Amino acid sequence: MQVQFTEDGIHLPEIGLWLDNTRPCEASWLSHAHSDHARGCHTQVIGTPATLRIYRMRLSVAENQQPPKMSPLNFGESMPWNGATLTAYPASHILGAAQLLIEFAGTRLVYTGDIKLRPPLAGDTTEVIPCHHLIIESTFGLPIYKLLTREAAQQRIIAFARECFEEGQTPAFTGYPLGRGQEIVHVLANAGFRTAVHGAIAKFIPVYEDYGYRFPGWEPYEAKATAGKALVVVPDHARVLESSGKNIRRAYVSGWAALDNARARGGAEELIPYSDHADFDELLELVQRSGAKHVDVVHGYTAPFAHILRSRGISASAPQRSSDRTNMEAEG
Amino acid sequence: MDALALACEDIARVSSKLKKIQRLSAYLKPLDDEDLLLAVQFLSAGPAAPPGLNQTLFPAEEKTSLSVGRAVIREALQIATGWDRETLRLCFSETGDSGETAGLLLRGISAQESMTLRQAEQLYTQLALARTTLHKRELLTQIYRRCQPLTIKYFIKMITRGLRIGLMERMVEEAVALACHVPAASVREANNRIGDLPKVALAARHGQLAAVETRLFHPMDFMLAKPLERLEDLADPAAWFIEDKYDGIRSQIHFDHGQVRIFSRGMEELTQAFPEIAAAWKIIPGNGIVDGELLAWRDNRALNFNVLQQRIARKRVSAAIIQEVPVIFMGYDALLHNGTLLLNQQFEARRQVLETILSNPPPLLQVSRQHRAATLEDIDRLFRESRARGNEGLLLKRNGSLYEPGKRTGVWQKLKRPFGTLDVVITSAEQGHGRRAIYFSDYTFAVRTPDGFANVGKAYSGLTNDEIKELTKILRSASTEKFGRVILVKPEVVLEVAFDGVQKSARHKSGYALRFPRILRWRKDKQAAQADDIGILEALYRSSLV
Repeated sequence: MQVQFTEDGIHLPEIGLWLDNTRPCEASWLSHAHSDHARGCHTQVIGTPATLRIYRMRLSVAENQQPPKMSPLNFGESMPWNGATLTAYPASHILGAAQLLIEFAGTRLVYTGDIKLRPPLAGDTTEVIPCHHLIIESTFGLPIYKLLTREAAQQRIIAFARECFEEGQTPAFTGYPLGRGQEIVHVLANAGFRTAVHGAIAKFIPVYEDYGYRFPGWEPYEAKATAGKALVVVPDHARVLESSGKNIRRAYVSGWAALDNARARGGAEELIPYSDHADFDELLELVQRSGAKHVDVVHGYTAPFAHILRSRGISASAPQRSSDRTNMEAEG
Repeated sequence: MDALALACEDIARVSSKLKKIQRLSAYLKPLDDEDLLLAVQFLSAGPAAPPGLNQTLFPAEEKTSLSVGRAVIREALQIATGWDRETLRLCFSETGDSGETAGLLLRGISAQESMTLRQAEQLYTQLALARTTLHKRELLTQIYRRCQPLTIKYFIKMITRGLRIGLMERMVEEAVALACHVPAASVREANNRIGDLPKVALAARHGQLAAVETRLFHPMDFMLAKPLERLEDLADPAAWFIEDKYDGIRSQIHFDHGQVRIFSRGMEELTQAFPEIAAAWKIIPGNGIVDGELLAWRDNRALNFNVLQQRIARKRVSAAIIQEVPVIFMGYDALLHNGTLLLNQQFEARRQVLETILSNPPPLLQVSRQHRAATLEDIDRLFRESRARGNEGLLLKRNGSLYEPGKRTGVWQKLKRPFGTLDVVITSAEQGHGRRAIYFSDYTFAVRTPDGFANVGKAYSGLTNDEIKELTKILRSASTEKFGRVILVKPEVVLEVAFDGVQKSARHKSGYALRFPRILRWRKDKQAAQADDIGILEALYRSSLV
């Protein structure tokens, strides 16, 4: 199957479909609702119901513009598409994140989107889909990135909150608004902590709730009443908190927290290396279990990870411009 | 060592100084005496080089005190992990730290054997004594394979001397005091006297701090001067003793009735290299420790450092070279005399002792001349006179100041003006370390030559973080080739650099190297074609030899 990699997204010309195109086009598959994947007002979009719901919340449609036609595709469901068959599978990353299996002319192509192999703190568990051709991300595609399991991350989050409270301090966790934020709130609220949630994160809690996740007793974050609560805020807000002179200690829950320089960079004291992206070992495992004959690496350490795969005898390339990981503040 | 590594991780996790000190103290307290010595040694000064290890006078930047370079640390990791060079390079550049990278990559590979502090000390000694790079690499590979990754992280950080856990020596002193139930000030003072925190720690534990005395023939740290950027910033011009700032080798003389040893700032012994100076000290009566500087000297003035350099470069000190490059010792300060330690006496009193010691000296030993000033204009005039004598500038020592070994507290200030400035072009850039690891913050730069550009030096300080960020973008897009952490760039960006001298150098294509180059500003207004020409360097170098 023909695959074209462009700066805007991945194009499958034979079946007239784009994958995560960030510019308006005829038809795009949305792997998940982060804005670097689901953006732009396309004529038609395909995604899981949760992805489409969040995409709609974030979409701004101009007055003279036609809103996109939304074609939901549930996990495990298939739909015919211009001679191909499209099937969605869970990808763990965030609520609604999905891999897409495209079967066309006897080949199976899987596009993972952003993916995590191990079970997440809150979200669906990934399935590995056997395929001929795999297109995978590599946000943490270097062997220095080994991240915590769900259980270990849970323990670390809870232990940090407890340690702060015992010392009369207020724990503040930073997470980006969609995904990590809710995962952290989920852990804290279910561990029985009073949890105050920044508005940008709180906005998506009802969506998670509709999909069966419970956040007992969470409350909106108020700058004036932080004592005795675990705070979950967006990274930009953390410095505001700190400079407010309140007795706050910050934890950074992220794959980037695997490196000590995250401390200097973000100012958090506690580093909890957990991500909704696969770490290096998970990426390797995903590739190996997929049985793919060829792998294209499209996000993160693309060229180095493709090089590592080739050194293990797997045909792999980094079709986009080499290593496009320039922004360590990227959602990780 | 395993417990020390855990303690370091624990210390890194809190930003409050007090908490860091408490955590370190809690770690130190239960250690036995030998472990206490080692732990404090590792944390304060790094593993000690074994006696007799051949050290160079000016160790190359990339080498550590144990002569274990970054390259060896990395090559061993390549062997132990099986990762290829390219992947490893990228890993190193992302963390910006050799020890951390080793620790991260050895997870799941190394055998998890434990390592005590004593074993660590033995391993450091073996590494330092290993004669060939190959042997060092083999030893390190073994260590990587056997020990716990977290321990290896800090084992390596101790060698590369960058713990990056926010622990300063002052805080180690305080932790020692807290662990031994003695006042922090008494530990600090004792450490000032002998500049040997491990020994001080042991004395503190056994209630013997008062007995910690400076000992002859054991070099102590030098007191340092703080750079005074602008003379106008000096508040009280009349409060200082003013001396010429010379450009030689700062050294410490220990003498005792005919026995003499000379130490450099790197605590290396220079006695053999300057036999005529040692001989001159032999006839000085009594005993003592004197701080001063070795200078190449002719016709009553100091020669450029380049001249002294010619002498240091020789392996053997022949009679001919002693003739060719005559050297004197310029006395600055007296730290000990006839058994009395003078560190806590005021500068005026110490100076008097110095003058007594050298009251009737042989010609090779001199005492630095002192001046007083009433106004800033006076100081400015003295500065110009010093420069006219070929010296670097002035050293200002505050009235009544004490001698604080190893400290740069500002009671001594140095007023230098750069030897010169040049407009140069960036030809390659390297990623920084630590928090600068994601930026290109180290620049190699060049002057114009008839057929292009030729490198003359490398600098990393002087730009603001915002400028570094901006430059990183520009350099990345101007890059022509990438070698790991380094990119070659099209010569486009012009910097103005200040420097303290010009030396011959085989390292750079131009044949010259700038001494202490630092970036003054980014000349956005200039094109590469407007950079300075190599002819200027040639002229500067020739003029420095006379």
